[in-house]
Amino acid sequence: MTCEDTTWLVSDARDRELTAIELADLSHHLASCERCRGASQQFSVLFRQLDAYLAKTDDGG
Amino acid sequence: MNPNSTATVSDEIASLRPVVHRLALLQLRDPASAEDVTQETMVAAMEKQATFQGRSSLRTWVIAILRFKILDVHRHRKRQWPRASEHAPADELQATGADEFFDSNRRWAAPKEPWSDPSDQVRSQQFFGILEACMTKLPSTMGRVFLMREWLELSPAEICADLELSPGNLRVLLYRARMQLRRCVEKNWGAR
Repeated sequence: MTCEDTTWLVSDARDRELTAIELADLSHHLASCERCRGASQQFSVLFRQLDAYLAKTDDGG
Repeated sequence: MNPNSTATVSDEIASLRPVVHRLALLQLRDPASAEDVTQETMVAAMEKQATFQGRSSLRTWVIAILRFKILDVHRHRKRQWPRASEHAPADELQATGADEFFDSNRRWAAPKEPWSDPSDQVRSQQFFGILEACMTKLPSTMGRVFLMREWLELSPAEICADLELSPGNLRVLLYRARMQLRRCVEKNWGAR
């Protein structure tokens, strides 16, 4: 799995449940790739803030 | 509710107008429709303010009204939503933009530093401002489709049917929107 492949899964996970195989591939790649760990953390901050901005969660003030 | 607290809630609702308008414009990408739905939302919020329970923030409550209004526009005037293919250049629908981000081995071309998580309300508002500016920069169709999915929470199948998009094209649009947003926020928020 490449870094690019992981970003597709990170995006897809917003729209559908990932399969067990995809999740395993993803975590296997993240374990050995610092850049993808960084990018993955950025996406999770981004999505958390997006959900708050869109009032899907109530911590947006 | 006593008259004083009603006045306060009215003022607070009125102060949310710019927030409502910006989000309506981001979703509809049409100034006239955005103005209409903003007006309807503000009127509805003022009229219904006695039903505001305080279980959520007022911002969340008003945005929920806006979302309902926009879904209503969507349900009743489906034919007026431009087909994605009429407005999006082919590359917006198909190209992944991978070369902007990855090297020839499909590895991230640059290191990715973790972001600080905006924990307090002030920092969160700063992040929201960046997010808004970055969403505004998304190409029109991409931005609309992104919010149909992320905000209106329409299913991928519904979005494909409404905009006459193939599932593959929708997947690319959502992917590119998320990739471009991440990059734009990275430039403006980064590891602050």
